[in-house]
Amino acid sequence: MKSFYYKTFQRDSKVYLSRSSSFLGPIVFFLITITLYPLAFGSDEEKLAELSAGIIWISILLANLLSHQFIFNEDYKDGSLDLVLASGKSLFLWASIKIFVNWYFSSLPLIFLSLLTSFMLYLPFDAALILALTLFLGTPILSMFGALAGALTLERGNIVGSSIVIPMCLPALILGILAIQSYKNEEVFFYIFLLAAFLFFSIPILIASCLGAIRLHFE
Amino acid sequence: MRQLFNQLISFPYFFKFAQISFPYLFLLSIFVILFGVLWGVFFSPVDATQGEVYRIIYLHVPAASVAQSIYYTMVIASITYLIWRIKMASVFMISMAPLGAIFTFLALFTGSVWGQPTWGTWWVWDARLTSTLILLILYLAIISLFSSFDRRSSTDQAVSIVVLIGGINLPIIKLSVEWWNTLHQSASITLSGSSIDNEMLIPLLISILGFYLYVTAIGMRRMQVEILKREISHSWVKKIFKESR
Repeated sequence: MKSFYYKTFQRDSKVYLSRSSSFLGPIVFFLITITLYPLAFGSDEEKLAELSAGIIWISILLANLLSHQFIFNEDYKDGSLDLVLASGKSLFLWASIKIFVNWYFSSLPLIFLSLLTSFMLYLPFDAALILALTLFLGTPILSMFGALAGALTLERGNIVGSSIVIPMCLPALILGILAIQSYKNEEVFFYIFLLAAFLFFSIPILIASCLGAIRLHFE
Repeated sequence: MRQLFNQLISFPYFFKFAQISFPYLFLLSIFVILFGVLWGVFFSPVDATQGEVYRIIYLHVPAASVAQSIYYTMVIASITYLIWRIKMASVFMISMAPLGAIFTFLALFTGSVWGQPTWGTWWVWDARLTSTLILLILYLAIISLFSSFDRRSSTDQAVSIVVLIGGINLPIIKLSVEWWNTLHQSASITLSGSSIDNEMLIPLLISILGFYLYVTAIGMRRMQVEILKREISHSWVKKIFKESR
């Protein structure tokens, strides 16, 4: 007998794999945003190298928030969210699994892609590795904030949700960029540890507030 | 003490209390603001390095101080609402958020007017300016939440969740923005003492006090309006309107 949580994990993964739009959507969005920057700023190598870390981080932030808004939407519409709430299972674990699966299928590919695109934007290789590391620590934060935005605006998905959480994501963006900028000296570890601290600090708070936000639709 | 608290969080009592105390508080606040600002503008000494320009401090610092304090009081209200479900707390948050946005904007505006002659630009991407701008965005985002739910209780809960997360996050944002960049002169008044001369400090403190009184008065008025909106069908509201007619 497989547990409820394992089944949630399996089901969500299958849904992701069977639908091209849900995992290709963020990738396409990410690639097109990356392409927009050289088109807008010109293809000057030095200028792009200076901007590239910021470009990649901003594109990932936007792609993440867009894709994570709909984590709980389907469950809300087909009524399974009611059943989960009524079942008495640990909602915390359930929500964590859902967010993790979403992160695995929509953010992890972007992290690997960002390594490729960093060469297209002339970022030095060492800095690109740091970039991937900061993204690895930073994208779960963005996913959780995106899930919170989605949970707040379950009834009608609108721009309000993402405009609320973008200002809250700023520490992740700033710490990530600072780490990449100081990739040559020791300070890089300082920022990376801070980013990790921000991640572990926000896991319990954000998931708990996600659950609070979900519950307010069933009061 | 406990009884007083219980009375103040009940809508009819608070409404009456605010109705009586608003005119006094409002006039007092106007008087104190005028006193502090006029003293500062006309009678306090000229700054040695910045000249006459510095006098905008008597608007800038109070506005910035009020803008931040409103957010922190909103955080306390959100915790109160999430734990004890006191409706007055959500009324407080919903009526204070627009005030906070206005004062944050005022702080940014006076700051940029001050920055033009002293720094030479209207706007710099400095740590404090940026975090104040983020505070403004946060206020506006909270205000935009007000109308995105059908039920009143959902709005209250959503607003308090966002205010609380923002409150936890705001110090982190401030710190990270400070690592990012800093140019602004550091805070002149701290709890341990101040680097300003007394001749300038006293009018400044008076105008800060005046701004706080003003916000309290207007905030109470706004809360009254919010209470009326919620309780419009209750008998005590109808009674008040009959009496006033």
